Amino acid sequence: MKKSEISRRKFLGTSAVVGAAGIVAPVMLAGCGGTKEDKKVAAVPEEKWLDQAPDGPVLKAGVIGCGGRGTGAALNFLDAGPNLQIVALADTFRDRIDGFRAELKKQKNVDIPEEKCFVGFDAYQKVLAENVDLVILATPPYFRPGHLEAAVAARKHIFTEKPLCVDPEGARRVMATARKAKELELTIVTGTQRRHQRDYRATYQQVQAGMIGDIVGGNVYWNQSKLWHRDKDKSWSEMEWMIRNWVNWSWLSGDHIVEQHVHNIDVMHWFTGVHPVKAVGMGSRLRRVTGDQYDFFDVDFVFENGMHFHSMCRQINGCVNNVSERVQGTKGSTNCRNTILDLKGAELWKYAYPVDAQGKPDPDKMKDPYVQEHIDLVTSIRTAKPFNELENTAISTMTAIMGRISAYTGKETTWDEMMNSEIKLGPKVFAFGPVEVPKDVPVAGEEFKPEKK
Amino acid sequence: MRKILLWFLPGLIVGAALILGAGKVITSTSTNKYCVSCHIHPAADASWKRSVHYDTRSGYRVECVECHLPPAGHGYLWAKAKTGLRDLWNYWTKDSASFDWQAKRGLEYARSYAYETSCIRCHENLFPASLTKAGEDAHLYYTQQKKTPELHCINCHLNAGHFIKGYTHGSNKSFGPASSGSREKFREATKVSEFKSFTEQIPNSSVTFNMKAVPGGKFRMGSPENEPFRRKDEGPVRDVQVSPFFMAEVEVTWDEYLTFYAQTAGEGRSSDTEGSRKKGPVTDAITGATPPYGQPDQGWGLGTRPAISFSYHAAETYCRWLSMVTGKTYRLPTEAEWEYASRGGTQTPYFFKGDPGKFLKTGFWAKLSKNDTSVINSYVIYKGNSPSKTMPPDRVRANPFGLKNMLGNVAEFCSDWYSEDILSTYPQGLVIDPKGPVTGTEHVIRGGTYLDDAGNVRCASRDYTKTSKWLKTDPQMPKSIWWYSDCFYVGFRVVCEFDAKTGKL
Repeated sequence: MKKSEISRRKFLGTSAVVGAAGIVAPVMLAGCGGTKEDKKVAAVPEEKWLDQAPDGPVLKAGVIGCGGRGTGAALNFLDAGPNLQIVALADTFRDRIDGFRAELKKQKNVDIPEEKCFVGFDAYQKVLAENVDLVILATPPYFRPGHLEAAVAARKHIFTEKPLCVDPEGARRVMATARKAKELELTIVTGTQRRHQRDYRATYQQVQAGMIGDIVGGNVYWNQSKLWHRDKDKSWSEMEWMIRNWVNWSWLSGDHIVEQHVHNIDVMHWFTGVHPVKAVGMGSRLRRVTGDQYDFFDVDFVFENGMHFHSMCRQINGCVNNVSERVQGTKGSTNCRNTILDLKGAELWKYAYPVDAQGKPDPDKMKDPYVQEHIDLVTSIRTAKPFNELENTAISTMTAIMGRISAYTGKETTWDEMMNSEIKLGPKVFAFGPVEVPKDVPVAGEEFKPEKK
Repeated sequence: MRKILLWFLPGLIVGAALILGAGKVITSTSTNKYCVSCHIHPAADASWKRSVHYDTRSGYRVECVECHLPPAGHGYLWAKAKTGLRDLWNYWTKDSASFDWQAKRGLEYARSYAYETSCIRCHENLFPASLTKAGEDAHLYYTQQKKTPELHCINCHLNAGHFIKGYTHGSNKSFGPASSGSREKFREATKVSEFKSFTEQIPNSSVTFNMKAVPGGKFRMGSPENEPFRRKDEGPVRDVQVSPFFMAEVEVTWDEYLTFYAQTAGEGRSSDTEGSRKKGPVTDAITGATPPYGQPDQGWGLGTRPAISFSYHAAETYCRWLSMVTGKTYRLPTEAEWEYASRGGTQTPYFFKGDPGKFLKTGFWAKLSKNDTSVINSYVIYKGNSPSKTMPPDRVRANPFGLKNMLGNVAEFCSDWYSEDILSTYPQGLVIDPKGPVTGTEHVIRGGTYLDDAGNVRCASRDYTKTSKWLKTDPQMPKSIWWYSDCFYVGFRVVCEFDAKTGKL
């Protein structure tokens, strides 16, 4: 048995116990050896998942960012196991806190006292000062690097939503924070729920065991209909409107390639084990109704060994939609989620979903990954086996940012440029008034100027 | 049986005594008291006592050997034996007053006897919770680079073990020229209307510098195969003709460079813009250097010393600025112009008589044969006579074209891209004003430095910029385009074209 196969097995063995993996497994890229020999695909032991986190002393969570996802994450957290509580809230806006409390009362009969609800830009600091064991970060992405730094400094475990930042400067801050958190042995889950999705993980393990051979390329997609927007209310300042409409402003969201498509880019990172070294992208704004973002991107990501991955994302009504990933290998391909095909398209392996009453496999019966990620978080805390997804997701976010900047400028953008870039989005002053940021939609390349006669 | 005991037991006792004794010797020669006891380096002892490794907040005192020897299991005994023996030899055979303590204080030297493994033995965690933003950036950079000997903790932490006055590894915003005092500032540049040496005046400053008229002519570029220390890239020899031009008498001084810096300095780097959000035209001004890191002059002094630590890009921008303010065409020399100028009409290894082998200062034979270096000393600042730093130009004599420090002191940027076999691509027969290859990745530098021995300061010696190596420890993100963090031995001199602006008809 080859040395690399042994280490893969060992890795699978240990990770199965906790059911949590933030660790990058050995890489299998074409050109890294082994293509000449016929690798025997080792049998992959089935991962042992927990349907609920184990019981233990009460864990108290604070929620920073009480909008739609914050509320959802809080409910997922409460569903993850026994003896879990939400005890403090922070949001920029009062009405979001009220909406959160109402929803939690309705669904879980949970009350959060008024004096533990904090409003404003610096409300997060008050939550971190409370007696919480962990925090849930669900604000617009712009604020994330600062919130992560503060939460790690306060030594709290963290559930943070993706993306982790909106610009290269933010990505580097998060990478450094990731190192600090690792030294402090904090558990950090980053909302990239496919990594906690049972079918994805099983497919990943089959790929790691060699079922598709060496990876030679792939495609990642997030093409969907128009996402939500908020029209400006008369009573709102520009700052308030931008934050309430954050998913349409690139300084708050990073544009949709970062905000949403990072999920698929993270799968590309996960399966290959490495990040691309340069990107050539293009994109434009066709129909978006507010804000300064594009509504589609198309990026060619190039890796160090010459491999290419194609990425596309779109948010326009009336177009064909596709949210998925595929990875091509020397012996087959996979949709990363539940199926592995050979080079001719015949099925080599399929994930066995739990069956319904009629005995048919039913994907809906699989554990909800949004809850699973909280189960894994709580289990990790209660069994004192920390794991930290921050660095991986920071790299995936930086990859998406690299694609965005290439599309905005029309130039090839390299990872080195990103690790050295000074680009920092956002205004210098935070107050409820006019916001000084560039608001024009970026246009790539140069204008054609006809010669004057 | 008794015989065995007779030999074995005493052997065991002697062996044990030797081991215990050796252990005692090792520990007692590793104490601070012992290190200080020779009284050879009182300055180093004193600077250690003022450092953060001596006066720590926790009260712990870092010992000499904790930095100056690797940790146990990492070659401790071997390094101790080596350095110990070397110390003893030097103590008994040399005069400690002749040691170059200045050089030993510098980074190049320090890297070799302050062990990184020792740093990491104590400083295991590079990301403590209280790490500052600057520390985060620097340590993120450090952990993500491929490990090389040049990438050493001490690059940024040179003052950890020994106090250095004014040491800063941050952006040096106060860097700049001293005021010109009461000297009057020039309103205009010098007017030149014929091909004769002149003294240029930089407008809006009180700085002048001498330009020598270098007549055109033919020469053989490269070196013959039998020249000592010749490298492959110096051949095959070609006949080259160079048109007349003006060349600066000396390398660009700090006085000149700081004038440029002050007149064009930018506050911070301009941020890249994401796409062009502006629709109007971009103004075309010369924006100059941003504040340097630490002390670009390395603490050796400004004034007439050659300017160092700036990048090739900065040198080119300097020439563009100088052209703009003087109304002449200043630029970097081509490699052919440079070699022609350095030879001054000669075709020997140096522009003065002498065999490179006889001017060596390093190496066993050199020390043994006690070379007479008085000739080379009067013309060239090199390893044999420089206290490992740049020198002002009044220390040397000029070459036959009136140019000083062509060889030695700082190496000089040329405008050519470097190509190892450029001479073989030039045709045989006469080549006129060659300019090097069309593209390349690094530029030519010529002349050798104050750190080089005799073999590398010959007229034909070629070298090239090492951009990524010279930015290795720039802990800023992004790295500077104006300053090198790890190169303080390259500068340049300007060439002024003999064209319509300088009297050519």
